Amino acid sequence: MTGWLIRRTADAALTALVAVVLLVILVHLLPGDPLAPILRDRGADPATAAALAARWGTNRTILQSLAALFTGVIHGDLGLSLSAQRPVLDVLADHLGPTLLLGSLTLLIDFTVGLALGVWTALHADLATARWVSALSVVGYTVPSFVVGTVLVWLFAVKLGWLPSGSIADPLLSSSAGTWAILADHLRHLVLPLAALVIATIAVPLRQQRSAVFEVAAQPWVLAARARGVAPARIAWRHCWRPALTPIVTLLGLWLPLLVAGAVFVEVVFNWPGMGLLLAQATIDRDVPVVVAGGALLIVTVQAGSLLADVLYHVVDPRQRPT
Amino acid sequence: MRSGARTGLVILVGLATVAVIGPWFAPDHDIQGNLLTGTLQLPSAAHWLGTDALARDIFARLAYGARVSLTVAGLAVAVATVIGVWVGLTASAPSRVLAGVAERAINLGLAMPRVIVLLVLLAGTGQIATGWLGLVLGLTGWPAIARLVRGEALRLREAAFVAASQALGASSGRVLWREILPGTLPALLVAATLGVADAVLLEAGLSFIGVGVRPPTPSWGNMIYEARDHLMDAPWLLLAPCVALVLTTAAATLLGESLRRSLLPESR
Amino acid sequence: MTPLLEVCDLNISFPHATGPLSVPVDDVSFTVSAGELVALVGESGCGKTLTGLALPRLLPRGAEIGPQSAIRFAGTDLTRLPDRAMRSYRGRRIAMVFQDPMTSLNPVMRVGRQIAEAIEAHQSVSRAETRARVLSLLGEVGIADPGQRIDAYPHELSGGMRQRVLIAMALAAEPDLLIADEPTTALDVTVQAQILELLDRLRAARGMAVLLITHDLGIVAGRADRVLVMYAGRLAESAPTTTLFRTPAHPYTQGLFASLPRLDHEARRLTPISGTVPRPDQWPAGCRFHPRCPVAIARCAEQRPPFALVGPDQRAACWVAQGVTE
Repeated sequence: MTGWLIRRTADAALTALVAVVLLVILVHLLPGDPLAPILRDRGADPATAAALAARWGTNRTILQSLAALFTGVIHGDLGLSLSAQRPVLDVLADHLGPTLLLGSLTLLIDFTVGLALGVWTALHADLATARWVSALSVVGYTVPSFVVGTVLVWLFAVKLGWLPSGSIADPLLSSSAGTWAILADHLRHLVLPLAALVIATIAVPLRQQRSAVFEVAAQPWVLAARARGVAPARIAWRHCWRPALTPIVTLLGLWLPLLVAGAVFVEVVFNWPGMGLLLAQATIDRDVPVVVAGGALLIVTVQAGSLLADVLYHVVDPRQRPT
Repeated sequence: MRSGARTGLVILVGLATVAVIGPWFAPDHDIQGNLLTGTLQLPSAAHWLGTDALARDIFARLAYGARVSLTVAGLAVAVATVIGVWVGLTASAPSRVLAGVAERAINLGLAMPRVIVLLVLLAGTGQIATGWLGLVLGLTGWPAIARLVRGEALRLREAAFVAASQALGASSGRVLWREILPGTLPALLVAATLGVADAVLLEAGLSFIGVGVRPPTPSWGNMIYEARDHLMDAPWLLLAPCVALVLTTAAATLLGESLRRSLLPESR
Repeated sequence: MTPLLEVCDLNISFPHATGPLSVPVDDVSFTVSAGELVALVGESGCGKTLTGLALPRLLPRGAEIGPQSAIRFAGTDLTRLPDRAMRSYRGRRIAMVFQDPMTSLNPVMRVGRQIAEAIEAHQSVSRAETRARVLSLLGEVGIADPGQRIDAYPHELSGGMRQRVLIAMALAAEPDLLIADEPTTALDVTVQAQILELLDRLRAARGMAVLLITHDLGIVAGRADRVLVMYAGRLAESAPTTTLFRTPAHPYTQGLFASLPRLDHEARRLTPISGTVPRPDQWPAGCRFHPRCPVAIARCAEQRPPFALVGPDQRAACWVAQGVTE
């Protein structure tokens, strides 16, 4: 098992490495000078332009960029953001928090409520409500997340005025307003984006779990357990749910990148200051250092998530344990 | 044909028709009307779905947007399928070296986060051609198809009929062309149909954040974005493109899932 | 002495299934006494598995036991019991061993735990004591090195060992009746003999009754005390084993024997029973076997023969066997 784990981790690391290199190459191949708008504004001469280019690192070759990135990771200095004129590391850190918040809450709800609903709809498949729940979840999944978000904004923020239409907090709320007020404000801002993300994603774990329970409930070992006189509650958990856990667990690993990537479209709709919004804005602004650093972070997270999914898969299902 | 597939197909055909014919008899998708009195009108005989903030006919824009979205999606799926099939089949080849290289390519392709790559390739000022947009979507979408094709091809290689064909002396090229490739078609068809839904959604999302189809060219995505400024005074601006988008993706998804149920009985 | 198990007019139907009413088990009656090994023999589709499942009330969804049916176990009619009460019977009084040992074991649970479940479901015993009992059970069913096997997962064991584990699970709560549904079908021939030997030994040691459900007449000889032959949902014949093998009364049983190759006679052509088994929605009127029967008379097609005595301890549902000539 350990041998396999080492090989698998090395594989993930290598893939991440090559992908990051590819990303840097891709970014470099694009036309357009990120400094062009700034230079135009200032009406700079070639000497100043060259100096600025050197300072901001926009005149590097691909290899120089790669070298800068890797030494930067080791030293903790990823360069400066062109738009924010602050260290890239700080910019990333600022935006990671909101994404982590939104992403982790979404995953939490998806994998608790979603799974529970999945089991419930499977065990009560003959009820009309169960079919509705399943159908509604598919609707939520098919409708694009930014449409769900915009409709939620229209309904709850514009028409009813119950909730704010965007941002993570009320900029006018003074910081001395007391912890309860600040907390309440944050919660009010969290509700709609969270709802949008949950609506868009809950169908997947729900339906996966539902079909897994269906498959498992028909299995002969459930009958054999009943024949031994095992209580129904224990049968539901140990003989139905537990064997059906494998695909769910892999799903969790594969969705881990959501915590870091942020759901770009939802973040744009709600002006949520997370990684998704940052990356979208940075690419539009040609803020190369941020794009490269953020993209690299995302690549690493995707590989880590896939590795986790693989490991969990093997841990949960003893049939899959490599000898 | 199952009812789900039929509904989906009908809707898609209807949309394709609107996309092709619509802009022909409602050609003024980018013509601004009277900016003083003609903006944000409710649906009327002259303007079936009303007008937007720049007094443009919404129905015309919707129809043109259909053309844009379906073209981009179609191109994206075509490109992804062609590359994906080629790489996927190579990755299932008996030659370890060839298969190994193709497999590495697929893994690498899957490791690149699609949204980031799309943002990098598309961000920039000015207009971009719908052709380029479709191409880029396809170039980022082939790894999923390749993985699917590889899986199916490997499975088929083990099948008895392939062994029978080889026992009869068929060359490996012939086996590939006559036995394996047709065997992957059902799964491919399902993937392509669902891929259309995926591509439409992706294009709409990219247009929404301003990176896909740029104004003034209408796309359902950027129409939804523009509607955000008028949620209070003209909510119907939001309704039309939302309904169109949801209808299209639902139709393609319905069709795809229906195909999956009929073509792939032991589907996973 | 009252028999341990008395099945009276067992009727199983699927009233809500689409299509014409299907009654896969029709008026089946038999008894099993304590310590007896009774074999229920028949081709696939004849209803023997459903009969077996009906006893611990483990029928699939949609199946219903007819109101006139009674399953009396040690005096109590099990068909009248609510499911909660049935749970105390399952495993503890009536246990079941299933056909496919691979799928009858939970793949993500260690086999020792699964056996322990059978004990813990009926008694509150300490962990240590449970483990000790499981180890002794594994030894009793002939698994070498129980200490190592107890923590194994099902996929780590061979087919024969898995079937022994299933038997151990069934015995764990010390039942009075063991129903074995095709316990050897999924195993190789050599292992089959070992498993049957085991069942026999355990029966003798524990004084346990066994209902052996099988399609293979061959494994029945020399082991079963009595044999019940089933055809198309009904009982065709019942007799002590030796009587059945020497003088089968029902033409179906006779046909079965005629189609079996034998080592003690000269080689001769096998005579299969003509025709094929009818599907439940195509069961003939009267005697269900009559279209394929070499000695059928007119009455066979019109009237259903009763399951009556044709010898001192032998019953057959056949007009001809009962001496009717027209």
